[in-house]
Amino acid sequence: MEKKTKNNTEEFYLAQWLEGNLLDTDLSKLVSNEDVIAYKKLKNGLEVLSKLEQPVAPSFEKIQAKIQHNSSASKVRTLNYKWLASIAAMLLFFFGLYQYLGTDAVLNSADFGEQKTVALLDNSKVILNAKSAIKYSKKDWKNNRAVYLSGEAFFKVQKGSRFTVKTKRGDVTVLGTQFTVNATDDFFEVICFEGKVRVTDTNKEYILNPTQAYRKINGDDFENLNYNKKEPTWITGESTYKSVPLHYVISDLEKQYNIKIDAAKIDRKAVFTGVFTHKDKAIALQTVFGAMRLKYKNTTRNSIMLE
Amino acid sequence: MNKELKNSCNPIIFEEVFNLYAKDLKRFLFFKYRDLETAEDVMQDSFVKLWENCENVPYDKVKSYLFTIANNQFLNIKKHEKVIRKNEFRHTKSITNESPEFLMIEQEYLVEIEDAIASLTHKQREVFLLSRIEKKKYKEIALQLNISVKAVEKRMHLALIVMRKVMKVG
Repeated sequence: MEKKTKNNTEEFYLAQWLEGNLLDTDLSKLVSNEDVIAYKKLKNGLEVLSKLEQPVAPSFEKIQAKIQHNSSASKVRTLNYKWLASIAAMLLFFFGLYQYLGTDAVLNSADFGEQKTVALLDNSKVILNAKSAIKYSKKDWKNNRAVYLSGEAFFKVQKGSRFTVKTKRGDVTVLGTQFTVNATDDFFEVICFEGKVRVTDTNKEYILNPTQAYRKINGDDFENLNYNKKEPTWITGESTYKSVPLHYVISDLEKQYNIKIDAAKIDRKAVFTGVFTHKDKAIALQTVFGAMRLKYKNTTRNSIMLE
Repeated sequence: MNKELKNSCNPIIFEEVFNLYAKDLKRFLFFKYRDLETAEDVMQDSFVKLWENCENVPYDKVKSYLFTIANNQFLNIKKHEKVIRKNEFRHTKSITNESPEFLMIEQEYLVEIEDAIASLTHKQREVFLLSRIEKKKYKEIALQLNISVKAVEKRMHLALIVMRKVMKVG
């Protein structure tokens, strides 16, 4: 065995030498000196060739990594001007849009059972009842004191230029006074507490004096009521009604207490006169439905069924 | 139309260009620097520059662009080295860490080797390339080609003798 290996080595000594199994000195015993030098050079040359002929795929990956790195660092710089230009253009565009559409509108809203006091730019004050919202434009407030209202709100307006409350049902114009506007769905009520209030309905105008009220329900019946309070009662935590259709009272209850009342069975013509508190749900329900001789029960935590 | 589409900004074309010239460029740089690592680095940087400038380099100018960039890079490094040497009297920079024999290898010599390899028989060449270029052990080659280790050794031995003869004449 030993001998065979040795024979083997000697037989293909160049192959053994290339593989490193045969020393240079041993090789020099087998070939001429000149040949040893030539073979050594050849071996080195092959080494270089091998290194140069290595697959380039790993290099490509490194290049990709460098490109990635550069594009996040230096290449951005070349794009910067384009970016700046487009950002400037965008800003200009939005500014124009803002000017054009007047998106400087300020929105204030009160949620279920909430009341919110909003100070307007001229120190006029608005108190929003539950589930109500106002919107106004900051931009030309000086020239055009206009507020868009949905729901119910009490206005304490500073004297000055014309002040308009716009609703779906009609506009209310004043010069400085105190009044409430309730524009909920098809219920529209304006009560004047101080000064004079002009109500502009679709094509009619009404002037309200203090304690006078204007009310329009369902777009047809107009009533002129008298009201003898300094300010609406809901500001102090109770809602007062005078011959108001029951379903509006119910919807106010829903807004104050964030509940659902199934009023499918009630008489649409029933009207309610009275007061309910905003502080206690049980008492409020008892006052309204007790007075109307209606039975009710809680179906779930937040919904009530009328019988 | 087709020519216009062939732009190295296209990642597929870029990779194609890379596969086409990477080895040549690396070899070119190796014989300039006498250092594989630097050759590899400058080669990579040249391709990065090509990518960054891809819009300005027409497809048929890509090769000369790459080699020009690589050469400029080489000149810059040399210039820099000169400055360093001027300022540091005792600076003894070994340009490369390869063995002196390694340094003796000239570009022409590599071409000679390649020609010699080309003159081998198919069987010898196959084994020779697997051994010397792909760095496979004789055992692995034997297994791969389904021949005995001895047969591999024989082919290697003969290949070397043939190459020595061919190169002696050349």
